[in-house]
Amino acid sequence: MNLFLNQLINGLHVGSIYALIALGYTMVYGIVKLINFAHGDIIMVGAYTAVIVLMTLGWSAPVALLAAVVVCVIFGVLIERIAYKPLRNSPRISSLITAIGVSMLLQNAALLIFGAQPQPFPTVLNIEPIKLNGIQISFVTLLTVGISAVLMILLQGFVIGSKAGKAMRAASEDYTTAQLMGINVNTTITLTFAIGCALAGIGSFLFCMAYPAVSPTMGSLPGLKAFIAAVLGGIGIIPGAMLGGFVMGVAESLTKAYISTTMSDAVVYGILILVLLVKPTGLLGKTTSEKV
Amino acid sequence: MNKKTKSLSLNLLATLALYLLITVLIASGAINNYLANIIITICITIIMTSSLNVTTGLLGQLALGHAGFMAIGAYVSALFTKSVALDFGLSLPLSLLVGGLVAALFGMLIGIPALRLEGDYLAIITLGFGEIIRVIIVNLDITGGPRGLTRITRMSRAFSDDRLLSSIIAFTFVFTITALIIASIFTLGRSRHGRAIISIRENAIAAEATGIPTTRYKLLAFTVAAFYAGIAGGLFAHQTSIIESRMFDFNKSIEYLVMVVLGGMGSITGSIISSIVLVSLPELLRGMDKYRLIIYSVLLIMMMLFRPSGLLGTREFSMIRLWERLEVLWKRIFRRHEAQTKMPFQPRYDVWDDKPVLETHSLGISFGGLTAAEKIDICLMNDEIVGLIGPNGAGKTTVFNLLTGVYTPTEGQVILLGNPIQGKMTHQITADGIARTFQNIRLFKSLSALDNIKVAFHSRMQYSPISAIIRDAKCQSEERGIDIRARELLRVFEMEAQADVPAGSLPYGQQRKLEICRALASNPKVLLLDEPAAGMNPSETAELMQTIKTIRSQFSVAILLIEHDMKLVMGICERIYVLNYGRVIAHGTPEEIRNNKEVITAYLGQDQAHTEASHA
Repeated sequence: MNLFLNQLINGLHVGSIYALIALGYTMVYGIVKLINFAHGDIIMVGAYTAVIVLMTLGWSAPVALLAAVVVCVIFGVLIERIAYKPLRNSPRISSLITAIGVSMLLQNAALLIFGAQPQPFPTVLNIEPIKLNGIQISFVTLLTVGISAVLMILLQGFVIGSKAGKAMRAASEDYTTAQLMGINVNTTITLTFAIGCALAGIGSFLFCMAYPAVSPTMGSLPGLKAFIAAVLGGIGIIPGAMLGGFVMGVAESLTKAYISTTMSDAVVYGILILVLLVKPTGLLGKTTSEKV
Repeated sequence: MNKKTKSLSLNLLATLALYLLITVLIASGAINNYLANIIITICITIIMTSSLNVTTGLLGQLALGHAGFMAIGAYVSALFTKSVALDFGLSLPLSLLVGGLVAALFGMLIGIPALRLEGDYLAIITLGFGEIIRVIIVNLDITGGPRGLTRITRMSRAFSDDRLLSSIIAFTFVFTITALIIASIFTLGRSRHGRAIISIRENAIAAEATGIPTTRYKLLAFTVAAFYAGIAGGLFAHQTSIIESRMFDFNKSIEYLVMVVLGGMGSITGSIISSIVLVSLPELLRGMDKYRLIIYSVLLIMMMLFRPSGLLGTREFSMIRLWERLEVLWKRIFRRHEAQTKMPFQPRYDVWDDKPVLETHSLGISFGGLTAAEKIDICLMNDEIVGLIGPNGAGKTTVFNLLTGVYTPTEGQVILLGNPIQGKMTHQITADGIARTFQNIRLFKSLSALDNIKVAFHSRMQYSPISAIIRDAKCQSEERGIDIRARELLRVFEMEAQADVPAGSLPYGQQRKLEICRALASNPKVLLLDEPAAGMNPSETAELMQTIKTIRSQFSVAILLIEHDMKLVMGICERIYVLNYGRVIAHGTPEEIRNNKEVITAYLGQDQAHTEASHA
């Protein structure tokens, strides 16, 4: 039972990181219908930024976190403006391939600058884990789950309540019509990328606190998993990304504990396939059929 | 020599020349073992990309797990040659076949969700399957687990004791298979089966409504692609002699996808070119190893920014084309068009004069609690033009959707030529004899006008995918016949000059006409026209009226017509049904309908109807 609870907590920990990253995927997808494959590598960018600030400059953790967020946002916005914007009216697959290209570019540039050797991420929080009847909850876990949940709620509130959020929803509904209603779609899309990348920046910091090794390809696997979490929950839907992230994280850590470490990916993909077969638009997705 | 044979011999000659050139270079030592190996890699890559192009380019479904099929083929075929004690020259081809078949089986399994899912969701499923295949391979004992499968017979050494001879045989073997696979994809792609697959990419709903069994063709595309990827995997295993599961991961699938997109989705020759370039490029950049992948990724981004639809788009590079263009020019200048054999349409059905062709009995459908149509009783006699009118939202298009099986009725019956058809699939109903057009035009936009019509002949042709691949006599004669009949049909509608124009670039009025033309190509007994005059000006509408009358006189078909243009409806319909709130509220001749109180109320509202009545 304790093993189960501990694994559940681990799952929630990983899951909330997936959820944070998934938010970036889901928001971008909702508005420009692009699977932004480079989003995972933004995590890597954030992680290296944090490492440089912490180790090379020797500044404090909050500064490092802020720096990671700022650099991630700058990268995200630049990538959107340079690589994706010119392709907005091209076939969707072209932007997908561009995203793959950007992802490769980021990884290989990092490889060239920092080398393949993973760099250790320093311990920033040294607080004793909380123990309850043999269940161990580390402070990092609490922090991660808490931060993710708060950010998720804030984001949902922003998208529903604010004027910019309304513009986002309008643009994701119908891009051309939104323009005709006086919405500056370019700004809206840039804002979407900026928010997504800011969340990825925070996600990267939390990720490094859980897995303290920074390498050029560190972002691709969590990126892929976060994307799958977004699809699982219903892509384009913010609470869906959260739900998908948690389901993924928990399924993964339970499989690792009870079945086998190597099978965990297969189980995760299996869940995804089953869910999509039963609900083709994800857990919280709405089914829309084309009007004939 | 006709065009097909000429094209065939040209391509055959070029392929043979290429083969001889490379063989001579290998034999003379100008191409060393290392280069020969790269050439074999190129061939394998070509098989992978052109087969991926079947699902991604022709069918239009993004597939992110193609390397998974390659993995299945590689492992199955390697295990086969390892365990079977046969001469290598026999066991290798057999193993490829077995590997291909097992991969095809998995392709079919993965194709099943494709029947339900669309676009990116399907892409993710294929990604998931690809990864699951890889993880399972890691966890099996027979596959060597994470250590992989080693000491697989290397084909460049095993065919003969003589190293040079053996590598020439290996090259010959791989080259032949590659050439055969490409040829088969081409012949299949240009047959009725290929047209069916492409029509799904263009417009799935219209494809179903023109008689294409879309689910079957989606499965076919997935299966064929997996089969060829399996063969490529088998070749790969016997090229490298060591296989590990991580060779076939997600990144590998992406690599092939990138090649397909760069070459142009839907263009097999594009895939071939990009395979050659992208396999050799890293070899050329080997000197600057550090920057190689950076250069590659920058090139990739640049290429997409400046040529988003890839090198060749959906076009194919063809040697015959230049030749053909010259010929057409020659004919245009010096010769007149040869008279084509006339082949009038024969009605397929018995005379059905006294009984209704189509009738419905208290037909209805409700979505949840909402009743969209109920107690619809409609009947159509042979050669009759009947109107279906009613205010917006009255349920007119719903009735069409019920008749054509887009919606399955929750109550009542649809009887076509005396047989109940409710509950059948749309494509079956089309084959049974109901064809339709759409309120918003649904043409196969990037296909030519002629090909749009040929797609609709699908249900009347019989040749199988196999005879399409080998282009046997049956396939050729059916294709010839269909070509004549499709052109004939275009001539009836005075559109022969537009035969080769992509449907999407025709003017609006002609698109409407082409859609009717396509509907007629499936040889219907009942033609449903959904607002054919929408968006037309008065003179175009007058022309349309004439067209509809021509159709009736030439094709022996009953027409049911939804239209808001009262002049048109009153002008050509013999009878009219009026629908409001999902029910038939009136039925009669145009004259009767014009004076029906309930109809006037439905259109103008209670008060106006009252005043109107008192004025009259």
